[in-house]
Amino acid sequence: MVLVTAVALIICQGCRPKPKPQPLGELGSVPGMETGSDVAMGSSRPLGELDMANAQRGMFAPVLFAFDSAKISQREAAKLPAVARHMKANTSKTLVIEGHCDERGTAEYNRTLGERRAQAAREELVKLGVPASRITTISYGKDKPANPGHDEAAWAENRRCEFAIAGP
Amino acid sequence: MAFLFCAATVLRVASAQVDVVKGAGKRAFAVSGFSGDEVLAGQVTGVLKNDLRLSGYFQLSPLASAEFVQSGTVRGDGGGVTIECIVTEAATKRSVLTKVYQGSAQELRHVVHKLSDDIVQAITKQRGIAQTKIAFEWTRNGVKELAVMDYDGYNVRQLTHDKSISVRPRWSSDGRRLVYTSYKGGFPDVVEVDLYTGQRRRIANFPGLNSGAAFSPDGQMLALTLSKDGNPELYTMSATGGNLRRLTHTHGAESSPTWSPDGQSIAYVSDNLGTPQVYLISRDGGEPTRLTVSPSYNTEPDWSHPTAGSEMKPMLAVTSRARKFQIGIYSASTREVIPVVADGADNEGPSWAPDGRHLVFTKAVNWRPRLYLLDVMTHEQIQLPVIEGDASEPAWGP
Repeated sequence: MVLVTAVALIICQGCRPKPKPQPLGELGSVPGMETGSDVAMGSSRPLGELDMANAQRGMFAPVLFAFDSAKISQREAAKLPAVARHMKANTSKTLVIEGHCDERGTAEYNRTLGERRAQAAREELVKLGVPASRITTISYGKDKPANPGHDEAAWAENRRCEFAIAGP
Repeated sequence: MAFLFCAATVLRVASAQVDVVKGAGKRAFAVSGFSGDEVLAGQVTGVLKNDLRLSGYFQLSPLASAEFVQSGTVRGDGGGVTIECIVTEAATKRSVLTKVYQGSAQELRHVVHKLSDDIVQAITKQRGIAQTKIAFEWTRNGVKELAVMDYDGYNVRQLTHDKSISVRPRWSSDGRRLVYTSYKGGFPDVVEVDLYTGQRRRIANFPGLNSGAAFSPDGQMLALTLSKDGNPELYTMSATGGNLRRLTHTHGAESSPTWSPDGQSIAYVSDNLGTPQVYLISRDGGEPTRLTVSPSYNTEPDWSHPTAGSEMKPMLAVTSRARKFQIGIYSASTREVIPVVADGADNEGPSWAPDGRHLVFTKAVNWRPRLYLLDVMTHEQIQLPVIEGDASEPAWGP
């Protein structure tokens, strides 16, 4: 009755150290990383910190999109001149365009779709005379629905670009 | 072109296997339980039975009809636990496994997971999954945090406490690091967390979208989506930052990169020709090859990397949209996506276990996402224990 042929001392889940449960530290940037560059056709990010907490929201109607599309219809494009006029009259402000999707799409694909919607609105605003350097885009994919419902009416509301005005 | 040929060959072998081995036979295994401390014995027996069931290799059966029989004892002493376990082949009475395990009472589940993997290894010569971890998005009160748990859904530990949006975790192959997309800084940035030290580092915070990062098999590089140069494109960069290289140049959006097991090529999603489909490109760029053609929506590719000595071949799992979202496996020979999870629910986000046999994925019924495991050899689905809030977008780690 020799049971013991090998003794495995299971300390700390064998040889694989386990993740420490303590709260994680602050985010640090990689030194020398390229940040804040402003490419004409690409997305821009303001050089300084953007005070999003005090950004003005809801000043402009959201631009809505068809299912799985980043094309701005003629009807929706009519909402953009008001945004352009405001930005041209308030030259110290930065415009943040948030791109959103409805929940009927996989997460990462929707994140790129939301970015393309925000970029489409940005391109139209640049055509209307707003400097590209004063517009920044954020895609939330399907993570921030405006309407929590699960029907056609909610989805139509959630396929959108929202506009926030930040800066002094 | 060499890499394309290799990748296609691997995928062809893989898909054939899914067809042929479906419903693979299970070995009849009798868990007799453990003598000794009754309470501990009950716990150990419960975890062991669940592990053997989840492994996919065994059918729990009565003693009389068992091919393998387990017996053993459990003793508790001052916060420590000692488990002695014997597994014998019923026909020959030959010992398959005789081993003693010790650990603290808090680590009881881990100790049994080690025992379960040893049983799987001894009988099948395959590496078990009982000691692996799964990372996932944990949504509560409108906030998305990341969490890590054991593969069986127990020991849930919250990883981020940002009260922001933290999404799409992916593991390094050594299990030490996770990369994910964090909105903590106000924009979607790629962040790496060292799971040993808890230290976090922002890896990519270019203008626009930084998301979908995935470690190369050697852990040296990341593939990811950036929109700094226009519409979202596929890039690689050093995992420590820098050495940025743009791989794609399209009018559409590229997303969800996943590396081939040899690290030479990357599968990803592009909607450049209309609907999202899966493509293959060399890690050095060049001309991409389209993989999927139907149905009209194939996303979230995940390439399995079975460990050395595995009986499984590499496979590419995707999320397709038919009437509902379903999980499929790409067959390179027919260019079809073979559905493996297609029911009345929305099934998304497949992620392979290190054994290349099991997938974890999200199943949403009435828009409530839950995590499930799938054994692609038997097509069995098992729901993981439900936790408070919503669990989604899982990533199976080492």
